[in-house]
Amino acid sequence: MKRIFAVLVVLLGLALAQGVVLRALMEDVPETRIIEELLPRFEKETGIRVEFEKVQYAAMHDKLVAQLLAPQSGYDFLQVDFLWAGEFPAAGWLEPLEPYLKASGFDLSPYYPSMLDLVGYYQGTLYMIPMYSYAMGLLYRKDLLARKDLQDRHRTQFKKPLALPKTLEEYVNLSLFMARNAGVAGAAMQGQRGDPNFMEFSNYLFAAGGDYLDKNGRVILNSSQGEKALSLYARNIRQGAQKGALNANLDDTFRVMCQGGAFSMITYWWMLPQLDDAKQCPKAAGRVALSPAPGGAGVNGGWGWAIPKNSANKEAAWRFISWVESKAIVKERTLKGHAPTRKDAFRDPEVLKKYPYYKEAERIIAGAKKVPIFAYTAEMEDVVGREISLAASGQKVIKQALQDADKGLEGLLRKAGLLR
Amino acid sequence: MRGRGTGLTLALPGLLVLLGVVGLPLLYAFRLSLSDYTFLKREAAFVGLGRYLEAFQDPYFLHALGLTALYVAITVGLSLALGLLLAVLLHQRLPLKGFHYFAVSLPMLIAPVGVGLIWKMILHPELGILAYLFGGRDFLGNPGSALLTLALVDAWQQVSFTALVLLAGLRNLPREPLEAAYVDGASPWQAFWRVTFPLLLPVFWILVVLQTVAEIRTYDLVYVLTRGGPGSATDLVSYYIYRKAFLGLDLSGASAMGYLLLLLTLILVGLYYRGLTRA
Repeated sequence: MKRIFAVLVVLLGLALAQGVVLRALMEDVPETRIIEELLPRFEKETGIRVEFEKVQYAAMHDKLVAQLLAPQSGYDFLQVDFLWAGEFPAAGWLEPLEPYLKASGFDLSPYYPSMLDLVGYYQGTLYMIPMYSYAMGLLYRKDLLARKDLQDRHRTQFKKPLALPKTLEEYVNLSLFMARNAGVAGAAMQGQRGDPNFMEFSNYLFAAGGDYLDKNGRVILNSSQGEKALSLYARNIRQGAQKGALNANLDDTFRVMCQGGAFSMITYWWMLPQLDDAKQCPKAAGRVALSPAPGGAGVNGGWGWAIPKNSANKEAAWRFISWVESKAIVKERTLKGHAPTRKDAFRDPEVLKKYPYYKEAERIIAGAKKVPIFAYTAEMEDVVGREISLAASGQKVIKQALQDADKGLEGLLRKAGLLR
Repeated sequence: MRGRGTGLTLALPGLLVLLGVVGLPLLYAFRLSLSDYTFLKREAAFVGLGRYLEAFQDPYFLHALGLTALYVAITVGLSLALGLLLAVLLHQRLPLKGFHYFAVSLPMLIAPVGVGLIWKMILHPELGILAYLFGGRDFLGNPGSALLTLALVDAWQQVSFTALVLLAGLRNLPREPLEAAYVDGASPWQAFWRVTFPLLLPVFWILVVLQTVAEIRTYDLVYVLTRGGPGSATDLVSYYIYRKAFLGLDLSGASAMGYLLLLLTLILVGLYYRGLTRA
């Protein structure tokens, strides 16, 4: 009996030593499934098992916050959207990663500075490792730009050739021209209040030379550039966009573009392979191309890996993060369709052979600008998004909407202790 | 006395569970509403009624309250009027009664999120059948029609519940007063409004209470169909409070607003009960 007991104790000890199980909450998207396919290899190499709980994006924040507030988190590492990249560190929920970096020799130099700025550092401390990039650019129909009748008509009307727009005015004019002459909407727009219209409008703001904050952190949204951006945004959504654009979200704009119903959309760069898929979008595949947003700088977006302070398995979690972000694994993920954040993945010959447009994507990511990242970024989207929607739907004049958005953002910065 | 003691003993486990799952969260939320607790500032200080006063000074909260009052009036009014009509129809001798019952009950069986997704496609300005029939009209993207459209979708779902409850009420009415009315020469219209409806009034008031409480809490449809837009045309109060808590991370402010809403609901329910006891 004693012998059996001793054997059981030894077996239990072995199981505990080997049986570290890491749990994480992940968005239910193809990217997660790509990583999931590689997990058995990580387990084989390290003996650490990784389990993903997959949910829709909308359910993630609330579930994460509940775990982060608990004495011990049910998740050992996190996938952090840039919208929470200010909130989570500000709340003190994330583990600073520099000590892990030093101990393991993990190299940050392959990452784009724009990505590290977005989902890496918060107020000078490294809390996240960039995981996924969704910077925004201009997706357009190259077949429509090449159509002879449209080229002739454009030359007659504007005394210049039909070409890709360089400025915001040129883009909106082109969108309106296509809406009037090409039998499609000029732009598939996501005007739904909140994240959709805030992200879309921010591209207009940057393209017009405006910004949310100046170098000293003061709000400068209510400026002549802001007014120009919001006027052109409202004009495009009313005259150039598809029907229902004021209540449309990303899925709606994808559907419109996929069915060949629009000339362009300002959207996330990873949309290109989705639209270029002949099985999924026969009316768009082979006819779409990608370029940086008008003005050159689109909005930056992305996810980062992080370790919660209340994780019970921090070392093992770091082991997983450094493995999944290693050069070889990132390349493998990229070849399966991942949107990487490392330069070496974008410049890899094998990757470029499979996805030639990654060259454009790299330009988009390298030049992308971030919106203010702080504790109340998500609320900022809601407050500014409300005013954009009010202006775009004609319920408020542009100047007033900008003033109110400006005031709202200032209030949030003050609440976060970033303004006095 | 002994019987009463046994009854209390038997009810005690249930009451304790109720206290745990309803009473404690309510008390905790009340405590939060008197503090300045946020997800980022967990060492909260007592601020008295400060968060309540802030709620009254928040123009967007007041706007959401006003909008919700209008929304409740439309949805409760419509679902009761249509429910009554359907109940009266189902009370007649109809062929295929089972099928009619099934068809009327169907919306009630679908989760509100499912209802939202179904109607999102029906109302879609480019793909939806309703938009096609109305010449591509953008019902949800137009600030002038968005709230009414949302209310109609909600009423479509709620009407099955009100119809079935009113039908149950109609079936249990005594036949004698109605027969007497007919003997006295009343027309079917007169018999319905002078005899049937007054007898049905207690059920009707119960439905007014239940529907009002349910509609004040409307959140799912707004989330799926409009996210409170365009602008703030459909920014109902429950959705506003949700955002206050989870986007603004302001749990104490959201608790204060939740309590104000609870207070308003209780006042309304109290008024309705008065109507009910009179009925």
